[in-house]
Amino acid sequence: MNFGLVARVLGNLLLIEGAVLTIPVGISLYFGERGAVIGFLLSMGVLGLTGLFLSNVPAKSPRLKAREAIAIVTLGWVIVSFFAALPMVLSGAVPSFVDAFFEAVSGLTTTGATVLTQVEALPKGVLFWRSLLHWLGGMGILVLTLAILPTLGVVGFQVFKAESPGPTPDKFTPRIAATSKILYTIYTALTALMVVAVRATGVPWLESFILAFGAVGTGGFTPFNDSIMGWSSNRPLMVVLAASMLLAGVNFALYYDLLKGRWKQVWSNSELRLYLGITLAAVLAISLNLYGRVYGTIGETVRQAWFQVSSVMTTTGYSSADFDLWPSFSKGILFALMFIGGSAGSTSGSVKVVRLLVTAKVVKREIAHVLHPQAARPVIVNGRVMSSDVVHGVVSFLLLYIAVFALGSLVISLEGVDLISAMSATAATLGNVGVGFGAVGPRAGFAGLSAASKLFLSFLMLLGRLELFPLLAVLSPNFWRE
Amino acid sequence: MDILIVGMGKLGYKLAETLAGPEHNVTVVDVDEQALARAVNRLDVLPVTGNGAQLQLLESLGVKKKDLVVAVTSSDETNVLICLAAKKLGCPRVAARVRNPEYAGQIEFFKEQLLLDFITNPELDTANDVARYLLRGYSSHLESFAGGRVGLFEVPAQALPGVVGRALAEVQLFQDTLVGAIYRSGEVIIPSGATVVEAEDVLHLIGRREAVTALIREHSALGQRHVARKVMILGGGKAAFYLAGRLLANGLSVKIIEQDEERCNYLAAQLPGALVICGDATDLDLLQDENLGEMDAIVSFTGHDEENLMLALLGKQHGVGKVVAKVSRSNFVPIIEELGIDRAVNPVLISAGELVRFIQGGQIASLSLIFGGQAEVMELVVLPDAPIIGVKLAEARIPPGVILGSVVRRGQVFIPRGDFIIQAQDRVIAFCLHRQLPELNKLFYPKRRGLGHELWFGRKGSGQPSAD
Repeated sequence: MNFGLVARVLGNLLLIEGAVLTIPVGISLYFGERGAVIGFLLSMGVLGLTGLFLSNVPAKSPRLKAREAIAIVTLGWVIVSFFAALPMVLSGAVPSFVDAFFEAVSGLTTTGATVLTQVEALPKGVLFWRSLLHWLGGMGILVLTLAILPTLGVVGFQVFKAESPGPTPDKFTPRIAATSKILYTIYTALTALMVVAVRATGVPWLESFILAFGAVGTGGFTPFNDSIMGWSSNRPLMVVLAASMLLAGVNFALYYDLLKGRWKQVWSNSELRLYLGITLAAVLAISLNLYGRVYGTIGETVRQAWFQVSSVMTTTGYSSADFDLWPSFSKGILFALMFIGGSAGSTSGSVKVVRLLVTAKVVKREIAHVLHPQAARPVIVNGRVMSSDVVHGVVSFLLLYIAVFALGSLVISLEGVDLISAMSATAATLGNVGVGFGAVGPRAGFAGLSAASKLFLSFLMLLGRLELFPLLAVLSPNFWRE
Repeated sequence: MDILIVGMGKLGYKLAETLAGPEHNVTVVDVDEQALARAVNRLDVLPVTGNGAQLQLLESLGVKKKDLVVAVTSSDETNVLICLAAKKLGCPRVAARVRNPEYAGQIEFFKEQLLLDFITNPELDTANDVARYLLRGYSSHLESFAGGRVGLFEVPAQALPGVVGRALAEVQLFQDTLVGAIYRSGEVIIPSGATVVEAEDVLHLIGRREAVTALIREHSALGQRHVARKVMILGGGKAAFYLAGRLLANGLSVKIIEQDEERCNYLAAQLPGALVICGDATDLDLLQDENLGEMDAIVSFTGHDEENLMLALLGKQHGVGKVVAKVSRSNFVPIIEELGIDRAVNPVLISAGELVRFIQGGQIASLSLIFGGQAEVMELVVLPDAPIIGVKLAEARIPPGVILGSVVRRGQVFIPRGDFIIQAQDRVIAFCLHRQLPELNKLFYPKRRGLGHELWFGRKGSGQPSAD
């Protein structure tokens, strides 16, 4: 393990984080929040010093290998989360460090689960910082590093692979730095568009930024105590948010194809089709279930169903209504959606539609094999044969995901909450959704859990965001043996 | 430059490895997913699965906008077809590997009628390399620069008197020449004046060609012109065929040992001057019957690296003056030369060097990959706005791992010392460790990258140990 070089890259990462902190400092200055300004400046100092120290550690050799890439990604996420929690503690906004760490991890992993009950009482700067973490974590902090500091050596692709969601990373330009830049440009443009759209519906500027970060990053933090329920009568806002969540759940490489004028390719993309199909089916089923029972008008029913499906499917976690009060059928569908998530290469979490697609095709193949044991049936997605490595990777990911979910639910059930709450708390954090049912429902949040559970769920959020394998690899003792 | 490489075999990989970096955007195409996965995990390239000769694929990759297409699949015909298609689709420059000796006579036709810009033939290039080595004296000429004015030579340190154990700056011999690189136990060292020469070192001398030749001839204990007269080639493949042809043309006596009878007949028919023996090259009795010990040189060109290595060592043991072995894995070249084999040749490295030289064409007039690709020697024409102009070299902050070997100004060759000042239009021949290439480029190309790049490289340079 080339510790020197890993330290060096992590140092650079921290320096970037310190630089990004200037934005919330500005906001706190503008709103005259002295405590927050001091907290931010202190954190910037700590970040700067640590970053400078780490980035000057001498390296044995300038070569990075796959092992170092994995170490950079996982340690990077943990360290950046740790330092992101600092300003919340130092400003006095979130006195408990465990709570602040939970919020920071929840922010960066775009989960959006919160342990705070009085969100509106937070200083504006801290509020903004929490949501800015969504935005940074959505496309990936290391992808950002790749975009602005173009040389991670050739190992850049390994870093990109470990951080970007989905079984096969989309590198669509020869150089990884260019891919990262294009992704961030599209991401920034989409966010800017959504900020303006949200502002146009009558939300104040700061809150518009926060809501857009939450939607485009598929995070879920809002500046309000009751998620977004207080604004649910603002129809244009609901439509804008639901649309931006859906857009953010699409593979960003497809937007690049669109810009290049490859309409046909985008339209025939089977993951996109399945993603839209599942969304539509879920909206339809929930609407039929809700109409007449919960909501009186068709318009209101479809709007609520659409918003909530987009929110859970893309793993955002905004709630426009307390869906914990909805009928079991609707809740069941939402719970199932938590395990699907958006597309690969999007900002969303959970399993991802393409993995579902591949698994479905594998199952179909197995069924066909019963009739024709000798038939050659490769798994084909988007006209391309998936190599058996990819297929195995997808299937084992799914199995591992279910195993972690089951174990996690068991651990949380020690809290003494009911099984649905324990299961949905695990699914909501592992899948980076951020909202569940019962004790962790839209109105309750995660405030009632013990410190141990909060740390455990923080671990699950990181595990889910990095898609299990990198973090588990780092935790295995073999990783550290030469 | 936007470059498309079709075929990710050994040559394709080596080429992608050499080219991928901030200067070029490299896309690689192959039908074999595993070959692509290997490349994309280690190199910053875009992998595309598919048959590169398919028009649809070439079009979808935007071949019209590529600056260059290189076809290095295993099949000559496919390579020519790919180049033809790419050219017709609007790609300005195409290069192919064509290795079948039966096409050797129609290379000019390929170039003129089929519009291929460059054709490389690894076996032919290898044969030429070996022939050059066998036909020269003990110290071998590696490369010529600036239209032959500057020469690069390889000399064992022990062959020169009063060099071993002293720092380069103290050695009187090196007044008009310069030691550009030292090859020491598998590693390449770009020396400074303080570097002390060790007994086993191989020095790479650069300077005005006549000056270096004179130096070697006058002072080297082994410098008399010593040309191999009798050469035995083990294995009768393509490279052997080309080599035998070259050697026969230079009046040497050539004996080829090849196992396959049909091949023997073919060789005997095509190479009337050579003695073709049909038998197993690893059969020691046969080799002794054929007077192995009396050969001036043996060249082992069989298909197996291990056999080549063993046969070359066997030759050495029987007192053969020069032994040459072909190695198909480029990383093994340094180790094998250390075992006492005079020259290990790797067709992939030689061919990649030729291709890179063609690709870099414009800015870099000449370039060769030496020492298994660890270092490069290149000839640069100084642009009018290069940062290095007008500064004394001692103050130009030339990074460790880079040395300017010679400067050619209006036909005159200079060995640049600390007080030398580079001017625009000078031709500079520089030695550079492969990983210091970005640093070298910074001296010769005006800054054009952003602050982030500068920050990163600035930081990266600061704490890095200079000689590892």
